[in-house]
Amino acid sequence: MKFGLTLVAALLFAVSTSHGHEAIFSWTYTTDLTPKGHGEFEQWITTRWEKEHGSYSVIDFREEFEYGVTDNFQLAIYLNHHYVHANDDVPAEDPAHPGNRLRGAYETGGEDVHAGHNPATTFDSYHFESVSLEGIYRLLSPYKDPIGLALYFEPSVGDQETELEWKILLQKNWLEDRLVWALNVNYELEFEKEDGGGYERDGMFEWFTGLSYRFVRNWSAGLEFWNHHEFADATIHEHSAYFLGPTIHYGGERWWATLGFLHQLPIGEAFSHDNKEFAAHDGYIFGDEHEKYYVRFRMGINF
Amino acid sequence: MKSEFAFIALPISALVVPSAFAVRYLTVDQAQQAIFPGKSFTAAPVKLTSVQRKAIEQASGVRVLHDEQQVWRVSGGGWFIVDEVVGKHEFITYAAGLNPEGSVKQIEIMGYRETYGGQIRDQKWRAQFVGKTSKSTLKLDSDIKNISGATLSCRHITDGVKRLLAFYEIALRH
Repeated sequence: MKFGLTLVAALLFAVSTSHGHEAIFSWTYTTDLTPKGHGEFEQWITTRWEKEHGSYSVIDFREEFEYGVTDNFQLAIYLNHHYVHANDDVPAEDPAHPGNRLRGAYETGGEDVHAGHNPATTFDSYHFESVSLEGIYRLLSPYKDPIGLALYFEPSVGDQETELEWKILLQKNWLEDRLVWALNVNYELEFEKEDGGGYERDGMFEWFTGLSYRFVRNWSAGLEFWNHHEFADATIHEHSAYFLGPTIHYGGERWWATLGFLHQLPIGEAFSHDNKEFAAHDGYIFGDEHEKYYVRFRMGINF
Repeated sequence: MKSEFAFIALPISALVVPSAFAVRYLTVDQAQQAIFPGKSFTAAPVKLTSVQRKAIEQASGVRVLHDEQQVWRVSGGGWFIVDEVVGKHEFITYAAGLNPEGSVKQIEIMGYRETYGGQIRDQKWRAQFVGKTSKSTLKLDSDIKNISGATLSCRHITDGVKRLLAFYEIALRH
């Protein structure tokens, strides 16, 4: 029940402080930035759950403060922390045939289960993950130029992993800017702490795209799509996973809120032996990589 | 997994809030007197035909959202028009006063409620439209200066005035 209480408390916090920048998508960034001299507080709550077997659910929290340094350059700092519940969720390795799964046997694992945790027991823990810095520089505005273009860079530092992330953000508007299409092309380098004490290097290439329409005043709704490619040691292509789902957004004078859902599509592909063995299942990519369902709620207050 | 679904309902309920309506700075009467002090006004609404609509869109390069335009004839000459353009979240309502020969006399923002961009109400920004005609460029960063952080509002008002000037040429002038 600690799980439920943490959640309700976080939601109440998010709702009670809510009263204004503007993420019309839950996952895909647009090129809209906080204007010079203005700030914004954002609360993110992402829940993701269900793997091949057992139980697995994570609630990711992010508290973010953004500031417009110039009208085309925005800096942000945010805190990442999460609550993880995992039990018997990843296939166990066959000790007689290392590198292969032991059919019908599962253990507790996943990227959010800490290194050193006994895989035979349930993992149930709140963890402060990392602190991130984010800089976005806009080169072209979708309101003045044929297309919006911005560059994004984000380093994150935590006790279990350190990440560097780069994004190219594109945005195109139609119908008096009520119909918005956005595309993000991302590359991420992740250094994750291993059981042996060293760090595993992973590379991620992914792209997000979304289309949203403001159907009545203040409200817009749309669809988002995410394709994720993982590279072990940042060189070996391990898998490609696909996600699709709806998103709805409310934007007011001083605050906004966005809710999105993504469902992993059963068209994922595993390429490496390791991922074919431990991550792929009925067209989905699970293992210690992805979950089947994702729900994200974001709320921002402008000041 | 039922417990996971329970908390999804909470953020959904947080989204269901009453829609905020634009702050009305000026009523029609106030806007009329601000642009044409001491004059009297006769309502002369115009319903556009599809041919007129297409002609306005072709001349201005801006889409016509409503076939009906709220227009008043001003005593002594001139036109008073109430119009709206799409804002970031809501419609921005504004009034345009046109001189008898069709040039812009004055622009007044009647209703606006957005996070940023309230500067479009500044007299200095609105003054850029004074004297513009259907032959003017009316383009942001060209003959109309942009307000940083309020680009969407500035562009839509600029496009709106360009459309109204084409409307004058096609539906009012003759």
